[in-house]
Amino acid sequence: MRRRCCETPDVGQEGLCPSWPSPLGGELAPQTPRGEVRGSGRDAAGAPSPREFRAPPASPDLFFPGGVRGAPPPPGGESPRGAEPLSERRHLALHLPRLPVERLRRESEPFALWGVDGPRRLVTAASAQAEAAGVHAGQALADAQAILPDLVLEPADPAGDAAFLERLALWTLRFTPLVALDPPQGLLLDVTGVAHLFGGEEALLDTVVQHLARQGLTAIAALADAPMAAAVLARAGVQRVVPPGGAAEAVAPLPLFALRLEEDLAAALHGLGLRSIGAVAAQPRAGLVRRFGAGLAAALDEAMGRRARPISPLRPPPELGVHRDFAEPIATRESIDLVVAELLDALCRKLRETGSGARRVGLSAFRVDGTVQEIAVGTGLASRDPAHLGRLFAQRLERLEPDCGYDRLALEAWQVEALAGAQSGLGLGAREARREALAELLDRLSQRVRVWRPAPRASHWPEREVARVSAFESVTVPQGWAARPRPVRLLRRPLRVTAMAEVPDGPPRLVRLGRVSHRVLRAEGPERVEPEWWRDPPERPMRDYYRVELATGARLWLCRVGFDAPGAEARWYLHGYLP
Amino acid sequence: MSPSTMSSRPDPNHPDPTPDPSPDPPPGHALDRPALLAALRARIARLDRSGAALEARGDTALPLSPAIDAALPWGGLPRAALHEILAAEPGAAAGFAALLLARAAGPVLWIAPDPDAWPPGLARFGLSPAALVLVRAPRPQDALWAMEECLRCPAIAAALLMAPELDLTTARRLQLAAEAGGALGLLLRADTEAPAPTAALTRWRVGSAAGDSTSAHDLGDPRWKLELLRCRGGKPATWHATWRAGPGTLATDEEPAAPARRRRASA
Repeated sequence: MRRRCCETPDVGQEGLCPSWPSPLGGELAPQTPRGEVRGSGRDAAGAPSPREFRAPPASPDLFFPGGVRGAPPPPGGESPRGAEPLSERRHLALHLPRLPVERLRRESEPFALWGVDGPRRLVTAASAQAEAAGVHAGQALADAQAILPDLVLEPADPAGDAAFLERLALWTLRFTPLVALDPPQGLLLDVTGVAHLFGGEEALLDTVVQHLARQGLTAIAALADAPMAAAVLARAGVQRVVPPGGAAEAVAPLPLFALRLEEDLAAALHGLGLRSIGAVAAQPRAGLVRRFGAGLAAALDEAMGRRARPISPLRPPPELGVHRDFAEPIATRESIDLVVAELLDALCRKLRETGSGARRVGLSAFRVDGTVQEIAVGTGLASRDPAHLGRLFAQRLERLEPDCGYDRLALEAWQVEALAGAQSGLGLGAREARREALAELLDRLSQRVRVWRPAPRASHWPEREVARVSAFESVTVPQGWAARPRPVRLLRRPLRVTAMAEVPDGPPRLVRLGRVSHRVLRAEGPERVEPEWWRDPPERPMRDYYRVELATGARLWLCRVGFDAPGAEARWYLHGYLP
Repeated sequence: MSPSTMSSRPDPNHPDPTPDPSPDPPPGHALDRPALLAALRARIARLDRSGAALEARGDTALPLSPAIDAALPWGGLPRAALHEILAAEPGAAAGFAALLLARAAGPVLWIAPDPDAWPPGLARFGLSPAALVLVRAPRPQDALWAMEECLRCPAIAAALLMAPELDLTTARRLQLAAEAGGALGLLLRADTEAPAPTAALTRWRVGSAAGDSTSAHDLGDPRWKLELLRCRGGKPATWHATWRAGPGTLATDEEPAAPARRRRASA
């Protein structure tokens, strides 16, 4: 990581490390970097993945990067390392210019969305019909209504747009397992090595756009080495496949807005007469960085494919997966059951070939209208038994909503563990078979109800004597555990009772349960339990436990608290039932 | 030995198969023959299956105590069946259930809306926490489903369900599941004055009895009043039993408890 950063020719470092003495005197005075690049994979939904990690920018030995020290970069924007591609990956970028409008499916009339920007109400998006009449995003709402009096208006819903974009990203998982969001209106697909499945890169591009068009979405797709190069092309409305290594040439004539720079930065560049990406890139690097900050340089490098920027996928690629596409959508339970059984067979065959078993399996059902529904099941022990996994899925399949049918079902093993094969039959594996049968039962139960094992714990505080552990863990019982008589049922919420004792510290003589008073025949105790000072708050009171037998024969575990506080009345609780 | 010993007892090695409610077929109905054959085949398969499950386990009935075993037609409490326990006293009934679960020797599932089984107390009856799995099923239909799944599983020794009163169909379903799987099924529920008929093989009411300790500061061993209210093929009977934790045995009083010492558990 660090080595790569050292090689990167132009990393403007001013402002990031103000305490370091500046080699160029006052000219490199600390200033906040401008030209931050917005959007792209960094602020994609979800936690940042480790793939996104980048070396810390402020490091002393980065401070004299080759390009900054005087020598002007060669003309034409070509830095010495710019010619060779940084990676052999291929990325497809999708830009959906009318996403907020088209997702609402209002094709019949001119339609626009509006939002509030300070005191003004502005049009944020307009349908094709409305745009043809002269309504455009950024226009004042009053103007738009004056142009088109019968314009149908609705308030914008950015959160809904983001959710829709994420849903669409799940849908594009049918093309490649690596998909990242490029909000607000873009998607980035890593299509390295998948193009041949669709008959080449051109065909892949067409397929994606056609599929989206069938859903009523206008999309512009571009394919290039670097993800940002493809994204810039798509944002600028250029639908093409850039051959490997050609990103810099392809991007150079594009206008600056495609870089998504900050507004004042873009305006400043316009003021200098720099209208295209190539024009900016042709400027001397040092001055550019000094004047506009490192962000602009980084954005330029990423767009021209000189600097690799990994995309952060929406979800990690599955370990193993199988899928099936249908020419005719399927909607009935019988057919879904059949396909799931077939997919499970195929997945388990793959698992057996790799010597592994699945701990977590997910079924993605792609509906015709673009919705993706997911069902996941987990197992306690790694399994590759189609019958067992099928039973787990059978309980969950009813949650699917095959409205108009599915055109694709995909089954993926999300979590996989090594699983050695065991010989079955011959009567040798009876014990093993029983263990597996129990694990399968617990799997089935835990799909629907909570299942756990009680594990002894080293504590004398009754509520902490037993911990809950997973039902698949084995529990060991320490020697001498539970030597004292204890209740067989412990009330989770102790019951407040009234009891009378002969002397203040004596055992109870009369216990009132509900409305009935019971005479106490025998009482054992007290057993004093002090709070655990290393765990409990200091104000927690100690308890005196009595085991009492009532005249009816019932045996109770009574507890007295509050006796040690001065002036306080002791309180009695029923904490459990003794056998 | 016990007052309720039966004069003639069926062979304990052949548990009484559940009588099938299907009536005898009317002769000469050729159209019904396939259905009839299928039903008979299913019945034979079921009998075979429960038999095989029991054979695999080796023993068919859990011993309780000599006196109680002698009164039960199976020479003990049979596995592969459903038994109902009415809890006249919650502690005593849970203790008795724990004793049965422990004697089943194997993985045990305790299903309840909010399982408050307390392993430190259950361990005194020989039920180790290593064998116990707790299942929380707040909804009744989930609890019944879980119980049925457990009973059908050949890998478990026993399952206990804490539930309100079950109707006949549900109990019958659980009974059939237990027959198929070979596990011991227990239904633990609160006592009611007039319990409805049940499909379970036996029904017990467990209450507590006054201890035999002479000191006012020592509770002594747990003492229970065990009432066998219903037993298929056997007679109802009542015992007073003491659980001796040291040797791990359930000792019944030789004589019926004297009326003076007898304290009826409040139902």
